[in-house]
Amino acid sequence: MDLNEKIKILSDSAKYDVSCSSSGSSRKNKKGGIGNAAPSGICHSWTPDGRCISLLKILFTNYCIYDCKYCVNRSSNDIPRASFTTDELVNLIINFYRRNYIEGLFLSSAVCVSPDHTMELLLKSVKRLREEFNFNGYIHVKAIPGASNALIEETGKYVDRMSINIELPSDESLKLLAPQKTKESIIKPMGLIKSGIIQYQEEKLKFKNAPQFVPGGQSTQLIVGATKENDLKILKLSEYLYNSYKLKRVYYSAYVPVSNHPNLPAISRPPLLREHRLYQADWLLRFYGFSSDELLNEEHPNFDELLDPKSGWAIRNLDKFPVEINKADYYTLLRVPGIGVKSAQRIVQGRKVSMLDFSDLKKLGIVLKRAKYFITCKGKYFPQRSIPTNPVSIKSRLLLEDNIKTHENIEQLSFFTLFPDIMAAEGEL
Amino acid sequence: MLYYIYDGTFDGLLTAIYDSYYKKDFPEQIVPQDNFTDNFLINKVYIRTDEEKSKKVHDAILQKISRGAMANIMYAYLSEHENAGIFILEYLRFGFKVGKIIDSYLADDRVNNINKLVTKVAREKHLLAGIIRFRLLQNNIYYALIEPQYNTICLLGKHFAGRMSDQVFVIHDVKRSYGVFYDKTKWFMSDIEINKDIVLHEKEIFYQELWKRYFDGITIESRLNPKLQSNHMPKRYWKYLIEMN
Repeated sequence: MDLNEKIKILSDSAKYDVSCSSSGSSRKNKKGGIGNAAPSGICHSWTPDGRCISLLKILFTNYCIYDCKYCVNRSSNDIPRASFTTDELVNLIINFYRRNYIEGLFLSSAVCVSPDHTMELLLKSVKRLREEFNFNGYIHVKAIPGASNALIEETGKYVDRMSINIELPSDESLKLLAPQKTKESIIKPMGLIKSGIIQYQEEKLKFKNAPQFVPGGQSTQLIVGATKENDLKILKLSEYLYNSYKLKRVYYSAYVPVSNHPNLPAISRPPLLREHRLYQADWLLRFYGFSSDELLNEEHPNFDELLDPKSGWAIRNLDKFPVEINKADYYTLLRVPGIGVKSAQRIVQGRKVSMLDFSDLKKLGIVLKRAKYFITCKGKYFPQRSIPTNPVSIKSRLLLEDNIKTHENIEQLSFFTLFPDIMAAEGEL
Repeated sequence: MLYYIYDGTFDGLLTAIYDSYYKKDFPEQIVPQDNFTDNFLINKVYIRTDEEKSKKVHDAILQKISRGAMANIMYAYLSEHENAGIFILEYLRFGFKVGKIIDSYLADDRVNNINKLVTKVAREKHLLAGIIRFRLLQNNIYYALIEPQYNTICLLGKHFAGRMSDQVFVIHDVKRSYGVFYDKTKWFMSDIEINKDIVLHEKEIFYQELWKRYFDGITIESRLNPKLQSNHMPKRYWKYLIEMN
């Protein structure tokens, strides 16, 4: 089979993995070597679905011994199969990298022969890239559930990021759709990588040249909409992973129907809006100081699709508003709908030298569309005919601001245009 | 109306700043000579670029304002905005008055005008770091063409020299007819004039085809959203992107 055909098959099979981030690592180039990592990450292109290409995201092989119902590569699925040789793969990476097509490699694989056999193939490829080709660009490798500790630890020495996809957010769902996988086979290597990272960070403090171990951190992916878990359950799991496993990122992947197995829901299009709300909530957990309990509870276990999670929270907690822009501390500012990390930082910086009013906020680049219902400047509300102060009217105003636009664009996915700033923040998925 | 006209170089601009202080002038505009259109109302002063004066201004900025302010005016200059010169003068006058806290005055027009330009240039620099495409030529030079909106490629030399340290490359700004050169030891800027045909390496098309194949393979059809794509990657940059042609 020629390389063209292989790339087609093995990228097609890899595309449902949403992670493409190349951030978090500051690996330096070596003398005479090729490549380095940019801590901010760099996007190299954007596909027509609007997602960024940063890494060459590809499977080593899509021959799989497992038959997970939700997965396009399940063994019972009749699709073309292919495998790279290590030579082909490393040459491809180097040649793409030299042309600045990519920031590095995201290597994953179906489970071929056995977990250990597959992990060995991945390890061999990254080891050759680092040692033989002196390649110092970004490498993200999937740890294969069920592979031995020694192989996973060895791989961690060569890569910038490692991930194990949980995919299904509960034990029951695993049993239903991926009976050959167990929770233990996923959680165990996550713990292993976590302790490797902690050890590396401790050694780094003591020795300047401590050998690197997964410097870009660990991530995982959850599929949204293939099983019956609600948003609360998913968000709780993410929170737990951030707190206990020190994960760098949890990715959410709207389930794209790839099979019509009776255990899977019959949906016509991926639940993109739900995925979007989960990402917003994920950001609130990581950068805004929110906890999952504040955003959802047993009575309201799912996000309102019409309203972003922060606005939803603010409307339920109107006693905490309005917030005075010139006095509130940073974390209080962050809780105002429409004010993000950058805006809050600018406000804190700007008010050092003068009291801010609404026209100043505009110059600082603060978008008042949402914020104006929740803030005062120098004790005064936004100068508009009437700013409502009860939850029902605020909510209807917020929706009105969005709906005016939704009508112009009847297509269901118009939320991309409604929240371009948020999508930009997620741009480098 | 008093206009300062300089030679278009950064040193020329800093010399203009120096002269305006020295002569206690308040010019209406500071413009590069190539962008200048004369009319009979304009009182012209031609600035003679002087590296010593330029260095004095440079040192004063570092001492009395901040390193960040120096980077800001550099980026603002690279924006080639028609008002960049006068915005920089106003920003520096303010900076020499208030010192390093200048960048807290976010709502002040003198600061805001500069910040807006800085953001645009910084954003393009980051985008270009990703979307520049090298083509391997027969003579083993990696050659990239690009038409940036702002004069940003000089900001990319260090980035590419760091990561592509073992390959000879040229990044050619077609609009401004100059480029970044790297010869495996150091990078530098120079004018470019192409007078013979560019011949691709025999393997080049092979890898371009693989890249296009990958690009098609990784797209999820049920999530198509071309508007989001062009928000991230404006169409004006597509001309030299292999995957978009």
